[in-house]
Amino acid sequence: MNTKRIYAITLLLLFSFSLFANVKIGALLPLTGGVSAFGDLVRKGIDLAHEERGTVLGEKIDVVYMDTRSEKTESANGAARLIDKEGVIAIIGEVISGNSLAAAEIAEKRKIPMLTPGSTNPLVTQGKKYVSRVCFIDPVQGTALAEFAVKTLKVKKATVFTDVEQDYSVGLSNYFIERFKKYSGQVLQVQYKSGDQEFSAQLSQAISFGSDAIVVTGYYNEIALVAQQAKSLGYNGYILTGDGSDAPELLQLAGQAVEGILYFTAHYHPDARITPVSGKFADAYLKKYGIRPSTLSALGYDAYMLLVQAIENAKSKKPDAVAAAIRNIRNFQGATGVITIDANGNASKDVVIETVKNQKFTFETIISANSLK
Amino acid sequence: MTKKAKRDTTLTVLLIIGMIIFLQVANTTFDSYEKQVLSLMAIYGIMAVSLNLVNGITGIFSLGHAGFILLGAYTSALLTIPSEQKIAMFIIQPPSPLIANLHADFLTATIMGGLVAAFGAFIIGFPVLRLSGDYLAIASLGFSEVLRIFALNLQSVTNGSLGLKGIPNYTNVWWSWGWLVVTVIFVVSLVKSSYGRALLAIRDNSIAAEAMGINVFKHTLLSFVISAFFAGVSGALYAHWLTTIDPRITTFGPTLTYYVLIMVVLGGLGSITGSVVGAVLFAFLMEWLRVFEQPFTLFGRSFPAIQGMRMLVLSVLFVVTMIVWKRGIFGRSELTWDAIINFFKKFGKKADERGVGK
Repeated sequence: MNTKRIYAITLLLLFSFSLFANVKIGALLPLTGGVSAFGDLVRKGIDLAHEERGTVLGEKIDVVYMDTRSEKTESANGAARLIDKEGVIAIIGEVISGNSLAAAEIAEKRKIPMLTPGSTNPLVTQGKKYVSRVCFIDPVQGTALAEFAVKTLKVKKATVFTDVEQDYSVGLSNYFIERFKKYSGQVLQVQYKSGDQEFSAQLSQAISFGSDAIVVTGYYNEIALVAQQAKSLGYNGYILTGDGSDAPELLQLAGQAVEGILYFTAHYHPDARITPVSGKFADAYLKKYGIRPSTLSALGYDAYMLLVQAIENAKSKKPDAVAAAIRNIRNFQGATGVITIDANGNASKDVVIETVKNQKFTFETIISANSLK
Repeated sequence: MTKKAKRDTTLTVLLIIGMIIFLQVANTTFDSYEKQVLSLMAIYGIMAVSLNLVNGITGIFSLGHAGFILLGAYTSALLTIPSEQKIAMFIIQPPSPLIANLHADFLTATIMGGLVAAFGAFIIGFPVLRLSGDYLAIASLGFSEVLRIFALNLQSVTNGSLGLKGIPNYTNVWWSWGWLVVTVIFVVSLVKSSYGRALLAIRDNSIAAEAMGINVFKHTLLSFVISAFFAGVSGALYAHWLTTIDPRITTFGPTLTYYVLIMVVLGGLGSITGSVVGAVLFAFLMEWLRVFEQPFTLFGRSFPAIQGMRMLVLSVLFVVTMIVWKRGIFGRSELTWDAIINFFKKFGKKADERGVGK
């Protein structure tokens, strides 16, 4: 009887400890639905970071996960629920830009800092005080790609394939062309749409234009098809893309067609040990999950770590102070690089260039953040 | 006015007053998350009632609802977004001069959204309503996808796939529930009018209806256009609730139509009150069932959070509902004052009988 009572009391105590957990951080992620894979990857990164650093200001951190089902309505409701029902002091999320936009409005209105790991659409943070991100925005990739094409590959003539259905692709193309023309490169722009299968018309244009490089700014499906069809038409120049290539499926789809000629910009590569944290993270991740970390996991890890650092810098749990501290982060040593949050809430950091060698994504070089200004 | 009609009107007015009091209380005591969900219930309600007018009452199977919602959302959003915001937002192509300086207050924007959607329905309804059955469903589904593709590609008007953001957050519980009341009163009055009787006749047997002298095409077109108007209104409310819209498949794609269809079928195809109940239930359960996705402790054992649990529970609930009530919660019948009074009378009688038996 007595032991039972003691047992019950201890349980109750444990209960109340967990109830009065100190610092609550919300993670608003697409854990189910169309892009649940993305949410899962970010979550793995956050979990790892949480294990490494579970306390801040001497208090325990609780991460509350909230699913958005990869949808806008659910993102808005999830964000409101995290703030009103769970009482979080900050939110990490969402991954998809459209969903982040919906959640960002809520966070901005309630004055709760929000830090998105992977939303690259420039509009997400535009005009907001409480919303920031740890990834670079789409335009930066375009600029970095142009820098790499001109300075390293010595490209003079480029054909840009733009997927008109993706804001990502349109933005990337525009900024590539802008920077490329600044170095007096010649550009031919052609268009396609997500889901297109046949690119020979655009490719023959590109070949007769005499392109040294074909720039495909869309996603991996079309990149793979362009690469294959270009090879069969006898094209032997470079293929340059943004991080739309950064999916293992590309290698399965394109095979030898991208070997050695594909270069793409990315947020992260496990071999790009830009900071001491990069290596530590990659090893810890491999140990915990048995696989090498992917970009979104690294970004999730960075989002959590940067947020905790901001709370520590602010010396307070007050959302206002934390939001201001996030904007004041300078030269933060993250897994994806040295992160500085600018006045608009965007991360400025080095861009990784990868290539394909022996049917593996291989780290090529880094385009430093300074050269992208 | 007969005695019964007088009684019904009085009760309806009382119900609306009661609702106003409830909303006033909710507005002051609920936190903003709860208010947000409360507004969403009414927005879903308008979507469901308007779809029900076509699918349940007129009996033509349309799958194009998301298209009309999109029309209303974009039209109203472009009217209420301040022009500085438009210029800041259109980063790929500047806004076309056509829309750059447009501005209207929320009510006008909502009604314009409805009218544009109604016009869209007229354009598409004219050729399509000559089709029937599956053909109509496919054609309307196709039409709504065409609208979405337009929104995706008219870069200088809709900002393409970047979507619109910074839409003023005008939608509150008053606007959404106010419009729901307007929608329900309008549709109920329509169903009770000669037009509505004709629509019901068309649903039950369109050949017989035509033989009786009803112009089937004209009537179905009318119901299609009215349904689109309210879909447009709900789209406007939705846009100003969410404050950002984009033409992605998860926002205004077929999924949205299916959600609305679920609400309508859950409440009972052909029942207006059923649609409202279905919509309220849908919005409520979607949020409330989130508790199943948080880690919880039961009898001293802690269970980890399982994501996706919510949809599992929701699906099971819906399947059970459809097994218990084969035609949805209300079937084709309405929740009328008669039914409510009879229910209480019967209940009272039973209690009396029990009292006597004692």
